Amino acid sequence: MKIRGILLPSTLLAAIIFITLPFGSATEFSFRDGGKTKHSLAAYRWILAQEDFLHYLGVSLRLALGAVFITLLIMVPTVAWLHLRAQKYRPLMEFLTLLPLVVPVVALSIGAQSALPEALQSNEYELSFMYVILAMPYTYRALDIGMSAIPLKTITEAARGLGASWIKAITFVIAPVIRNAVVASLFLTLALSLGEFTLTSLLHWDTFPTWVTSVSQQNIIGAIALSVFSLAAAFLFLFAIGLLTMRSKSDLPEGQE
Amino acid sequence: MTSTTQDRVVIKGAPLRGTLDRQNLGVLVPLLPIVLFLGFFFFFPMAVVFVDSFKSNEGNWSMINIVTIFHDPYRMAFINSIKLGLVSAITASIPGALFAYVIETKGSQSLRRIVSSLSGVLANTGGVPLAFMFVAAFGAEGSAVMILKKLGWDLYAGNFSLFSFTGIVVVYLYFQIPLMIIVFSPAIHGIRKEWRDASQNLGATPLQFWRFIGLPLLLPSFAASFLLLFASAFAAYATARAMTVGNIALVPLQIGNLVDGNVSINQANAGKALAVGMVVISAIAMIPYLIIQRRARRWQT
Repeated sequence: MKIRGILLPSTLLAAIIFITLPFGSATEFSFRDGGKTKHSLAAYRWILAQEDFLHYLGVSLRLALGAVFITLLIMVPTVAWLHLRAQKYRPLMEFLTLLPLVVPVVALSIGAQSALPEALQSNEYELSFMYVILAMPYTYRALDIGMSAIPLKTITEAARGLGASWIKAITFVIAPVIRNAVVASLFLTLALSLGEFTLTSLLHWDTFPTWVTSVSQQNIIGAIALSVFSLAAAFLFLFAIGLLTMRSKSDLPEGQE
Repeated sequence: MTSTTQDRVVIKGAPLRGTLDRQNLGVLVPLLPIVLFLGFFFFFPMAVVFVDSFKSNEGNWSMINIVTIFHDPYRMAFINSIKLGLVSAITASIPGALFAYVIETKGSQSLRRIVSSLSGVLANTGGVPLAFMFVAAFGAEGSAVMILKKLGWDLYAGNFSLFSFTGIVVVYLYFQIPLMIIVFSPAIHGIRKEWRDASQNLGATPLQFWRFIGLPLLLPSFAASFLLLFASAFAAYATARAMTVGNIALVPLQIGNLVDGNVSINQANAGKALAVGMVVISAIAMIPYLIIQRRARRWQT
């Protein structure tokens, strides 16, 4: 019985060490000032002095917002339509949207490089389109699960039956009930786009993550400070999504999950 | 839905199978954007990779690139990458499964939720920042190394190096274990307490419960999770690139080198053949994973 009592606490302790050891070390390292014991904010001041810091942060944000826009434009109406009128094509679409998970990103990069037209490849927004593909297995799932949890078809028919126009039905009935699923999928796209490295670097573009790598060659402490910064940001960001999707689940009445 | 019923009346008598009548077309047209989008940005590039890998660099049909990837240095890289995938899957799946079991069976509702959100975050914390974080912790000057030294354990006394096969496996644990927790927890959660009680009431020992009920139920999910972890480590690029200094040949890194033009031009299509090789191996792991997950969803709520 004694072993059982300490099983959970000791497991949690191991998990806490596992998580905090590298993260704590990196944080300590990022405050180092030359020597092993002196600490200062030098690395962070150095980052803020770099013009490239805000520049590449801006590039990454711009491309990520592009991907969010495309997701909103293509993914959301498609999944809503599948639930409203095209139920029988759902298994097929689920299969198609899962395929990007089967192909390694490195392989897709080489394909994009050799197949996409020159005009597109010279425009940085090609990355936004590719990010949407990479995020698709996750965004489709998030939207599909979110919309499966509500009787979308029934309430839309009810609204239409009571005389609402399609525009009214979309604005006042469909949009509010799918809001949480849509927001979750957009956050997923944003998070994935902001952190994407492989495809970006293999297509020879520079964004925030690839810039961090090039920084490491001249200032390793600076690069570690940037990593701490971006991981902390990603952490907060993804944790917020986790809480958000959790809330959308608990918002549902019992028995509908 | 009156319009639908009317449509149905109109087409009554027409052969039902294989007809693309107006109603069907109306349902399909809104699906066109996503199909075209996937087609242009995903299927078309992958088709080009596939076709080009069967062409010589002069553009003639040839098996030369396919033959090339079965010889060194590429053969070695495939062996290394598969080994990395397997070792990483073994080292992450077992602790991940045990952790998931303890949390799912002993943890409270809120603890389970926190673990699930945290795992979601950590599983996505791959890439370059992760590699730098480990350099800060376990590099020669790293904080963790210095703390361990004070405690009397010099990590670097032997021939440990973070920039080695072992080092990569250790770093990958950081996103692989959380990934295992995410995909395996639903399976543990799916084992109902009632089944256990029922088996106990019928006189089964705990060992018999696990031997005949628990493990047979968990095994497919464990195998599926293992395959996912394998594919994830096999295909990872960013962390591996930041961690190795060209000392370990891995397929994703070699493709990266070929794309970056670090090698002679007459190997342009070799990169595509390597990519096809990667897709094949990844598909061997991912397709069974997706099928098993789909089946498992029937009894996991």
